[in-house]
Amino acid sequence: MLAGKGFDNIINVAGGIKAWDGQVAVGAEDLGLELFTGKESIDETLVVAYSLEAGLRDFYLSMIEKGTAEDIRHLFEKLSEIELKHQDRIFDMYLQVTGKKTAREAFDKEIVIQAVEGGLTTDEYINMFQPDWNSAVDIISLAMSIEAQALDLYTRAADRSTEPHSVDALKQIAAEERMHLEQLGKLMDAQA
Amino acid sequence: MRWKQFFTPAKSIHATEAKKLMSEKSQDEFNLIDVRQPGEYEARHIPGAKLIPIAELDKRLDEIDPSKPTLLY
Repeated sequence: MLAGKGFDNIINVAGGIKAWDGQVAVGAEDLGLELFTGKESIDETLVVAYSLEAGLRDFYLSMIEKGTAEDIRHLFEKLSEIELKHQDRIFDMYLQVTGKKTAREAFDKEIVIQAVEGGLTTDEYINMFQPDWNSAVDIISLAMSIEAQALDLYTRAADRSTEPHSVDALKQIAAEERMHLEQLGKLMDAQA
Repeated sequence: MRWKQFFTPAKSIHATEAKKLMSEKSQDEFNLIDVRQPGEYEARHIPGAKLIPIAELDKRLDEIDPSKPTLLY
């Protein structure tokens, strides 16, 4: 169908989703897109993205207190540190693209969204994956699922956005989520 | 007659190879299209895939950049 219509490099993924052994995303095309209507300015887009990362970090921080084993508490600390780096990155992007000199504390006050990365709530993720909180593999697997969902959300948001700067930022954040997934994959491998 | 359509066969690669190919490229360097039905997409899909059901593909080609490799599943 695509051949002869300008598409010179068409690749069929044999086996489709059944053969795919990587992370998957779930939900309809518009899942989480109430956060990104497509009309947000670059400032607003980055505030939402920052808020989503902050939501996930708060979740990991809250889990540190609940962790019984030392290695599990340490793992949640590590995951929360990773999210803090994501927030740093988005805040830097915000300063660069807006040219503003906003203080981090003032920026933090703009966070209003009660969702974590990927646009679902922590309860929704927990119900979906039902991890064993004493299993490092289960916890990293949950974190990877959340990152995969985030990659998916940012890609769909970029597709929907009509604001060119927001499109670029969302694509960049999606690309970074892909890298985060690779980092978590290495963390998972280290558990073996 | 549009000869090109007869001489541009789609390649087929295994999902494992597709995963490797995607990991070597940035998100912006390829198209990843899910041509299944919305219900199948909703149940599970490859993160970042764009849903264009096969029956709509012909009418929605303008949503895909033809200059990039296009992976379909």
